[in-house]
Formats: sequence, structure tokens, C-alpha cells
Amino acid sequence: MDAWQYLIVLGSCVTVTLPLELIGGARVYRRPRALLATLAPVVATFAGWDLIATRRGDWWFSARYTLGPRLAGLPVEEWLFFLVVPVCALLTYEVLGRGARGLRLPGGRRAGR
Amino acid sequence: MTGGYTIGAICAPVVVVAVELTALRTGILRRGRFWATIAITLAFQGAVDGWLTKLSAPIVLYRPAAISGVRWPWDIPVEDFGFAFAMITLTLALWERALRCGRAGPAAEPGHE
Repeated sequence: MDAWQYLIVLGSCVTVTLPLELIGGARVYRRPRALLATLAPVVATFAGWDLIATRRGDWWFSARYTLGPRLAGLPVEEWLFFLVVPVCALLTYEVLGRGARGLRLPGGRRAGR
Repeated sequence: MTGGYTIGAICAPVVVVAVELTALRTGILRRGRFWATIAITLAFQGAVDGWLTKLSAPIVLYRPAAISGVRWPWDIPVEDFGFAFAMITLTLALWERALRCGRAGPAAEPGHE
């Protein structure tokens, strides 16, 4: 079970934030094109940093708490981290935006302002 | 005292803010909603990253010379917050830009926002 730890942490992040999309009114997963345009440069930049840092030996990952498969030297969980964490932030940001703009009512009308 | 990660964690937020102010120019830094998202995300980072970096059973391990050695809260290297701020800020700014590009063209809404 130890090997699943990192994946479970990421899975918890996805599970906890999923209701923001499903019932909170955030539209992040439902905008795949905008999501891809956002994530591509973020992954390139910060996974790039990660690759350089791990190659320098600045940090590394426990073999005990990761599943084992690696991509370019990083555990698959670490690659997922660069997708999961930005999506969690976007869901938070979108829900906060909806609060300001008002909730959508049946029939497409907007409540609030 | 100041390792490679320390320097990166100080420079990355500065670079991302500069990219937003000079290139992306979404105005996101002037919005309360952005700062609220940062506050919420960094608070959750405390829990998630706290688990990943706890010294009793770390999932991510750091070379002592690469970090300042300041770990707060719990065992989280403070550098992780610079990394996270930079990554989340770039994510939200790119998202704003992607949404605006999606709205541009014939279907653009003049005076929106």
C-alpha cells in the first residue's frame, strides 16, 4: 500500500475539487481547449524545472512511496502533479468568479447582479 | 545557506509576475479573486505538501545544500511556496488569456469585464 501514497494524495486533490465542477458551477474540465492552452506551457516550464533540479540532485522521490514507472526520470505521479495542482487552482478560481457573477438559474438566466 | 532551489524559488515568482505584467497583461494581479485563489491554494498546499515532505516518511526528499533549511509549516521547505506561487500564478494568467482568446473574434463581447 505504501507505493500508492503519492498517487493517493493526488487522487484526493482531484476528488475534493471535483464537486467544484459538478455542483459548484466551475467550467474547467468542460473547456478542454482553454485547459490545454493553459496546461501546456505550465507543464513545459515547471516540469522542465523539476527535470533540471532532479538531474542536479536538488530533490528526488522516494522509491517506497511511488509506484515505480518513470518518465524521463520522474515518477508518473510527479507528471500528474503538474496536471492535478493547476486544475485544482483553476477550479477554485472559477468557483470564486461564479460567486461574483451570480449563479446560473434554470433557463440560462443569471441570479445576482 | 542559499542553494539552487532557494534561488529558483525567489526568482520564479518574480519572473512569472514580470511575464504577466509585460506579456500576458490579463490584469489578474489586481483582482481580489486571484489573491483569494492563491490564499486558498497555498493553504491546501500546507496539507498536501506537508504530507509529501514530512521528514518521518518523506515522499519527496531534498539535498540539504539545495535548500535554505527553513521548513515551515511542518517539514515543508519554504522554497516550495515560491514554486507553487509561480506555478499557480502562471496557470491563472494563461487561463484568463485563453478564455479571452476564445471570446475574441466575431462573438467577442465588447465592454465585457
